[in-house]
Amino acid sequence: MALNDNIKTVVRKSRGTGLLLVFVAAAMLEATTLIQYLSSQRMLKREASQRAESELRATRNQIMDVVDQAEAAVHNSIWIARWCLDYPDSLVVVSRRIVEENPSVMGSTFALVPGYNKNHPLFSPYVCRSADGNIEIKSLATEDYDYPSQEWFTEPLNYGIGYWSEPYVDTGGGNVLMTTYSVPVTDESGRIAAVLTADVSLDWLTDLIGSVRVYPNAFSVLISRDGTIMVSPVEEFNMQRSIQDYAKGARDTANFNILASAMLTGKSGNLVLGQRRRERTSVFYGPVEKTGWSMAIVIPDSEIYGEIRRMGVLVGILMLVGLSMLILILTATAKSQLKYAEVNEKKERMEHELSIGHNIQMSMIPKTFPPFPERKDIDMAATIVPAKAVGGDLYDFFIRDEKLYFCIGDVSGKGVPASLLMSVTRTLFRSVASHEKSPQRIVTLINNAMSDMNENDMFVTFFCGILDMATGHLRYCNAGHNPPLIFTDEVGMLPVLPNLPLGVMGGVHFPEQELDLACDNALFLYTDGVTEAENTSHEQFGEDRMIAVLRERRDSQGHLKAMEKAVADFVGSAEQSDDLTMLFIHYLNDMKPDATERHLILHNNIQQIPQLADFIETIANEMRLDQSLAMSLNLALEEAVTNVILYAYPAGSDGLVDIEAIMGKDILEFIISDSGVAFDPTAAPEADISLGVEDRPIGGLGIFLVRNIMDTVSYQRTDGKNILSMTKKL
Amino acid sequence: MEVIINKENAVTNVRLVGRLDTPASQEVSEQLEPIMANASGTIVLDCTEMSYISSSGLRIFLSLRKAAASQGGKIIVKNISDDIRQVFMMTGFLNLFEIE
Repeated sequence: MALNDNIKTVVRKSRGTGLLLVFVAAAMLEATTLIQYLSSQRMLKREASQRAESELRATRNQIMDVVDQAEAAVHNSIWIARWCLDYPDSLVVVSRRIVEENPSVMGSTFALVPGYNKNHPLFSPYVCRSADGNIEIKSLATEDYDYPSQEWFTEPLNYGIGYWSEPYVDTGGGNVLMTTYSVPVTDESGRIAAVLTADVSLDWLTDLIGSVRVYPNAFSVLISRDGTIMVSPVEEFNMQRSIQDYAKGARDTANFNILASAMLTGKSGNLVLGQRRRERTSVFYGPVEKTGWSMAIVIPDSEIYGEIRRMGVLVGILMLVGLSMLILILTATAKSQLKYAEVNEKKERMEHELSIGHNIQMSMIPKTFPPFPERKDIDMAATIVPAKAVGGDLYDFFIRDEKLYFCIGDVSGKGVPASLLMSVTRTLFRSVASHEKSPQRIVTLINNAMSDMNENDMFVTFFCGILDMATGHLRYCNAGHNPPLIFTDEVGMLPVLPNLPLGVMGGVHFPEQELDLACDNALFLYTDGVTEAENTSHEQFGEDRMIAVLRERRDSQGHLKAMEKAVADFVGSAEQSDDLTMLFIHYLNDMKPDATERHLILHNNIQQIPQLADFIETIANEMRLDQSLAMSLNLALEEAVTNVILYAYPAGSDGLVDIEAIMGKDILEFIISDSGVAFDPTAAPEADISLGVEDRPIGGLGIFLVRNIMDTVSYQRTDGKNILSMTKKL
Repeated sequence: MEVIINKENAVTNVRLVGRLDTPASQEVSEQLEPIMANASGTIVLDCTEMSYISSSGLRIFLSLRKAAASQGGKIIVKNISDDIRQVFMMTGFLNLFEIE
């Protein structure tokens, strides 16, 4: 149970550890992806910034080209203009030349400072290109216009240098966006005499700026010195609103103000507008020199990072799916592990129960070795190594009336059902063998009992033997079991008849066989678990290997240990496939060579009884038995013989009683046989010696005395003879 | 087997000499028939010289004992040897008889 808890804890722990590992791995993956993502973002930002800046530069250069052109046109005309100061009528020529020679200059005027020429207090001829391309000349010196108060006129005079006006929409020439470059013109004395201008159309700016498309949804904005939006994608704003205005209404006013002031002060740089991630916009800005303008390229972050964000989302989803799968797999594994632990627990419980079963079984069979330590005439050992916790093999043995009853069996099948049948078989053997004296009867009775109740078509191969310990006479009956090995001078197989196993069908006749064992002969009984033990290459242990192990001289316990080891070595890492059961019987009664026999044959006449006394006296003398033992033996023998004379032969018939005395070293056996009618004196009821005088029957004491005096008494009917055998240990 | 019967007053003395085996028992049984028929007195079975007894001999003892019991007599077993005492003990006869 403690082990089990450990397994569960380990599983739980490992499940926790597993999850933790997954999360760590996921976090690392996430971090890697994030780093990659961030660095990609940085790279994209850098790329966007580079593209924007180069675009800014290019656009600015293009603007500067026009601006320079205009400035050059004006500056190049100053000397002529100065020369013409004294001839106002020729001034128009200067302007005309500027317009004619510079396609980007839409108009030009040469405006005299009021009062410079006494004849022309106000003088400003204006040369311009009309919509159809013709040159037109008009005068700006009108009261309505009041050119001296116009910005293009005042500012150059104030600064004394060339001045780019704020852009404006020229209503006169067809709503054209214009800007004017005006330069003060000094006369030879250094006095400012006039202002020379060039009006530059800015329509191209709209196209130029509009064509700047760093990204599909990016756009550019050009603002003037005072913040007026000159060009932007929103036409309503153009020339109508200033960046300052716009900043007030913008969502991210703070940043917008920073941007506005940076642009208005002619700085270059970049800035991110918008607080929400989705609304963020990167603005790259830089000044346009000379004009005081500032240009900005606006790129929504979604444009810059759109691809990587989409990829990020995709990667995120993929990772989520992957992680979910990983967690699912891990959970499933953990569950199966937990289940495994539960199954293990069940298995353990079952194994525990099976081991109880095994203990019960083992307690049924004799397993103390040597089983008869006081006996010198037998050396026995037996073992069962079950393949599963409880097995279907059995052996059993016991000594009754100086005879060794023994059996070995192998129940078909394995596991619990086999073991139950094994218990049944063993119980039957014990109960049947306790009163039956021939292996044939024992096997037949067990078979009948088993066949009656066998509903599961299981059967038992079974070998049963009875060894007369005094004589070495072995009677046996085989029911389909492997023939045991017999060790005489040679190792050989005990000849067995191929009878059916037990439990196949009732009423079957099982013939009996017999054999005499000499001293030092031995029997080895085994189940096929020994010979059919398989190694990993599916070779079987086989009889040859088995016999080879047994050829060495050992005691029976040693033989079995050697065999177990040999089989285990042979099997190696392969699983034990069947029960391994062995029974070794070493017969060591050396009575026979020394034994002497005495024979006495009597007629079925009571008057011959006294001859028994002489017979016993002879034996007693030979065996040096004391007088009282001799008397007891005489009594037992007389009672047994009297029984034969009185009951085996019908009155008046003639018959013989054969009395054989076998004198062993420390045992005396009488075998009394006759050819009379079947009569089993041992079947007589036991006399009750506790009864009082009145109740006490007159007879029945004869066999009672025999049983009391002798150590063993056994009867058998063989070949039409009653054979009563009785022994007395000396 | 020799049986010597000696009657003194109410006491019948029966001396059993030799081996009381099965054939002997048949003879002894016949000889003791008159005593068994009249067993109201005291019968002393003197076993001093009895060297052996079989179950048929025991049967005679038991028959006498039953006869005495039914006729109000009394059986006294005298001087049994150790070996025979052993047999008596084995068979529970020590409890059935008065043994001197």
